[in-house]
Parts: sequence; structure tokens; C-alpha cells
Amino acid sequence: MNSTYMQNPSFAARLWKYLIAFLLIAVITVLFMALRDVLETTLIALLYLIPLGIITAYWGLGPGITSALITFLTFNYFFIQPYYTLTVHQPADVVILLVFLIVAVVISQLVGRAQAGLAVATAREREATQLYELSTAFAGLPDDHAIVQILAKQVYAVAEGEYVELNVTGAHPFAYRLPEINSPARPPELIVLIEAARGLLGEIRLWRAAPVISASEKRLFQTFASQGALALERAWLAQAEARTKVLEESDRLKSAILSSVSHELRTPLSTIKAAASSLRGKEVGWDSPARLELVAAIDDEADHLNLLVGNLLDMSRIESGALQPKREWNILAEIIESVLGRMRHLAQEHSLTVDVPEDLPLIPVDYVQMEQVFTNLVSNSLKYAPANTVVCIRARVEGESLHVEVSNQGPQVPPEHLERIFDKFYRITAADKVTGTGLGLSICKGIIDAHDGHIWAENLPDGLAFNFIIPLMWNGAKPPQLPMDTETE
Amino acid sequence: MNSAPHILVIDDEPQIQRAIRTILTEKQFKVTTASRGEEGLTLAATSEPDLVILDLGLPDMDGVKVCQRLREWTQTPIIILSVRDSERDKVAALDMGADDYLTKPFGIEELLARVRVALRHAASRKGEQSKVVKVGTLTIDLAWHIIKRGEEEIKLTGREYKLLAYLASNHGRVLTHQSILTHVWGEADADHTEYLRVYMRQLRKKLEVDPERPQFILTEPGIGYRFIADE
Repeated sequence: MNSTYMQNPSFAARLWKYLIAFLLIAVITVLFMALRDVLETTLIALLYLIPLGIITAYWGLGPGITSALITFLTFNYFFIQPYYTLTVHQPADVVILLVFLIVAVVISQLVGRAQAGLAVATAREREATQLYELSTAFAGLPDDHAIVQILAKQVYAVAEGEYVELNVTGAHPFAYRLPEINSPARPPELIVLIEAARGLLGEIRLWRAAPVISASEKRLFQTFASQGALALERAWLAQAEARTKVLEESDRLKSAILSSVSHELRTPLSTIKAAASSLRGKEVGWDSPARLELVAAIDDEADHLNLLVGNLLDMSRIESGALQPKREWNILAEIIESVLGRMRHLAQEHSLTVDVPEDLPLIPVDYVQMEQVFTNLVSNSLKYAPANTVVCIRARVEGESLHVEVSNQGPQVPPEHLERIFDKFYRITAADKVTGTGLGLSICKGIIDAHDGHIWAENLPDGLAFNFIIPLMWNGAKPPQLPMDTETE
Repeated sequence: MNSAPHILVIDDEPQIQRAIRTILTEKQFKVTTASRGEEGLTLAATSEPDLVILDLGLPDMDGVKVCQRLREWTQTPIIILSVRDSERDKVAALDMGADDYLTKPFGIEELLARVRVALRHAASRKGEQSKVVKVGTLTIDLAWHIIKRGEEEIKLTGREYKLLAYLASNHGRVLTHQSILTHVWGEADADHTEYLRVYMRQLRKKLEVDPERPQFILTEPGIGYRFIADE
């Protein structure tokens, strides 16, 4: 079915070329018949060469030579006396006829050959264009699947085949097929190997029964395959390099964590060890006031250690993407009050003010995580702001978001550091000057990000402010309004 | 408490066992320890302790499961020990019948306070439950549904009273969101924590001297609420 269908159009096209050629000769002959008495025979012979040239130029050598022979006969039949016979009386006419025949055939051949040369050049140019298109499409493609897809599409388009299958072997084999149906039952007509320096990468399988795949087409697909091989190798190398970079980055991070952790863990541990061992020994008397101080130091430093470990756990959870907020509709004021309730003993040298409107809608957040955010922002503010200054928490609804600002009257941060203070272990002051984990702000960022929000810091005329916004909408729902009962018992 | 109450500690970490045993023995409690869930269940059945301290991270079985198995036959108070960030497990254990929880690391004062509350509750469950709960100047009369601050009566809505009554009659204990919602609103509303948030806020405004620094109704982050009353 398929193969006869494929053959028909080319046969019809060929027939059509001859028909048009004959038709043109017929039309011209009729035209010359009308002018036969006016024009000389030699002139007619010359004029006949024009359509011959045109036919050969347009439809090739075959129709050209055939037309030359037919023209020779019609010329003899209609224009050489005696008319309407193929006999020739005048010797001069014999010469004209012979010269015409030779000239006609020679012109046809010359034009035809030029034509064929042009066709080859055009084909070469098309191949070059196709190759160029292919290599441009491959340029900088880091994805091996995309490369294979492009290669298969290009082979399919250029071959005008029935079916193309591209198999990639190696560690992660995959295949790409065009069109996306099952491959034909018979073996493919052409298999081209995709080979690179380090061996076989895959193969192109092409099904096209007719027209038969020519040698030049095979060469072209070979070139396609080697282009594909180069692109695949480059992509794989780039991927390997990217993986190495990620590993190096995580390695660097791990050693940063290790060095920070060992420093941070050792500080409270040293205090605990010193205090506990002196309590155990006989240096500190039972009634000595130093005793209470040492006990308090152990207690405080144990809390500090606990905070440190908690922060590390949070950070590793954020890093691994395991921090899933358990969202519920919460009251912001309750969260803030509960945090401040626990932090008040730390804030005796500062004054804490809360500016949260009573009619603020419910907010869709994870209660525990949001407490963590406020705890970290407030404790950061308390740590850096001088004594007897104000730390203020403000909240406002802005559009469909909640905007919270935690401001303090502490030192400003150089503008170039404003973004980086949310990085892990990023400190502006030297690590040994301020206690902490260097993780508090980056945990805040991790939590706010997990709530689809955004956190940033900005300098105020008299201090520093941490800001964050989080959407008030949750799963497309607005904060609920609750029906309240008002009647009393 | 005259006859020394018997406490069973189920925890697989020897250091924790040592610390808890030392302190509780010092405080005149009788202490038995188990380091595995199965062992703990057996000891609970044979020695009938007055209170169980149960770690959620046991090597052989899930602590929540131990809690469930205990509740199948005994109402002995259970205090859960667990690490931070395991709110889900804590809530599961509390909903399964545990009475209270402590997050490791904890202070001994905290542990002793929880132990006292749990033992008192167990005692009041057996005997007559106190009908009047006092905290500071606040008096809550659960029999007559009257709430007074000093001599001044505080008016509550029906739902607010129901909420307060549930909290006050379980004072000292942590109550999970779900258990409060189920008791006060009903099974169908057990997931609507926002009801709880809003009503709790109203209740605090009416009861607390300074609602921004609640003294009676404490929030247990991620778990629930706890009502603190005078002993």
C-alpha cells in the first residue's frame, strides 16, 4: 500500500513534465504556422531553440532531448517544403535541418547539465543548512533528552520517513520515537550508530521503504549522528561538572557547619564542665554564694546548648525540604504574646512594644514555626540593640497579605550585608564577640519561604527592621469569620 | 501523700533513668525502671504503679502504642517524655489517653510539678471531684456555674462557660486542641482549631488580669492549652 502510494506522485510528476513540454511545443508550432509565410525557414529554426532551452532549463535533460527530437520532426513536417511530409527537396533545407538537430541536442545537453549541477549544489546547500540548524539547536543544550528529541525530529523531517526511533544506551538508557506510535513490524531500512570517542552512545533507526535511501542521504544521517554524539557528550560532561559543583558546595557547607558547631557547642560545654567539676570538688563551700551562680550557669548553658541543637535540627530540615508547615487559622496576637511571655526575662534591659490591630484577620500559619520566627527576630534584636532602647513588633494587613515588622534601635547594617544576613553562619561581627548559632535569621527565612512569604531587612533612621509578608489566603480561602454567641449564661 | 507513691519509668536511655531515679527517690517516691516497651507493659501489669513516665522513642515499640496498650486496662496517669519537634507524636499520645507531656531536656521542678498534678488528678478521679476551682482572686464554681473575680461576677456566654468548665475541671493538665474541640463543640468540629483560638482569646480577655500576659490559661504551642489553678 504504502510503497505504491509513495511511487505514484513521482511517476505522475515525471509524466506531467513531458506533457507540458509537448504542449509548449504545440502552442509554439501553431504560432509559427500563422507566421509561416512572413518568416524565413532559418529564422523559424532559430526561434524554435528558445522553447527548447526553456524546457531543458525547467524540466531537465529528458524532456529537453525528447523535445529536441520532436521539434526536429515538427519543423521538418510543417515548415520545410513540401509541407506536411517528412521529405526534403532542397539540399539547403537538409543542411538547416541537420544544423538545427545538432544545435537543439547540444543546447539541451548543456542546459541540462548545468541544471543538474545546480540541483546538486542546491542539495548540498540544503544539507549544509540542515546541519547548521541541527548544530545551532544543539548549541548549549544541557539536557540529553532534549538533544535526542531534536535529533530525531530533524532526521524525521529531512528523511520524510515513516518512522524514526532513537535509542540511547549507557547508564540511563532511553528512546525517543516519531511519530509516537509503535514501530513498524519490519526491521528498519537504515541504522546509523551514534558513536563518540568513548564508545557507542546509541543508534538512529529509520523506516522508509520508498524512495530508497540514497548514499548521500546515508552520509547526511551519519553526519547528523556524529553531531548528536558530540552534543550528547558535551551535555553529559556539563551534567557531571554541575554535580561536582553541588557536591563541592555541600562539602564546603558541611565543613562550615562543623567548624561553627564545634566552636558553638564547646563554649557552653566548657562552662558546664567547669561549673559542675568545681561543685563536685571541695573548692566551693556549701553556703558560698558562688555555688548558686555556678548552678545557674550550668542551667543557662544547658538551655543554650538545647537551643543550638534545635537550631541545627531546624536548619537541616529546611535544607532537606522537610520543613512542612502545619497550617491552621491562628491569631497573630496570641503567637506574639506567647513568645514575649517566654522572652520577657531576657528583655529586662529593653522595652518591648506590640502594635497589632485587634481586628486583624486570622492568619494561615504553623503556630510553632511562627513562634520560632518571632523568637529569633526578637532575640536577634535584643542581642544587638543597646540597653534602654525599644524593640517594636508591628503588624498590618496590606492588600491580601500580612506585613509584620520587628524593629529595634540597634546598629544599622551596611547595605551590602542586608540580604546576606539571612545566609547561614553569616555574621557581620566576629563569631567570638556575640553568642548565637548564626542560624537564627536563616531559619526565619526558611520558615517564611515555606509559608510562601518573603523576608527582608532594612535600615531605619534610628535602627534596623526585619520585615516579612505572608499571604492571608490559604488554599484559595480567605480568613474565616466566626459566628459568635453573645448571650450570657 | 503518706504511703510513697510508686512510679514506673520507661525510658531506654540509662542517663535519663539514672537522673530521674535519683531525684524521685530523693523526693520519697518508689521508682521502678524499664528500658523497653514490652518490659514496661509487663512491669505495669505486675507492679501496678501509681504513675507511669513514658519515653516516646523506645527501641522495640512506638511509645504511642505503649500508651494505647496501657489505656486498654488501666487509668494510671501517664506522663510522656519526648524530644522537641515531635508535636504530632505528643498529640497522638495525649489523645490516646496520656495525661501530660514533658519535652526533653526538662527541668526537674517541671517534672515534679507534672507528677504532683497527675497524682492529684488520679486521686480526685477516685474520690469526690472538687466543685470549686480557685486561682488568684478568681473563683469558678462548677456546681453553680458561677465565676467571680473577688466579689464581682463575670458573665460568660454558654460556649465560653463550657470551655472554661472543661479547662478548669482538668486544671494542671494539658488538653489537646482536639480533645477541647470534641468536648466543647462536638466531634464534627474537632478540626476547627480557629474556633478554639477565637474563643480562648475572648475568655482570656474576660478572665485574665492582663490578657496579654495570661496567667491562668496557658498556650502549649502546637499541642493545646493548660489551665493553671491554685493547688
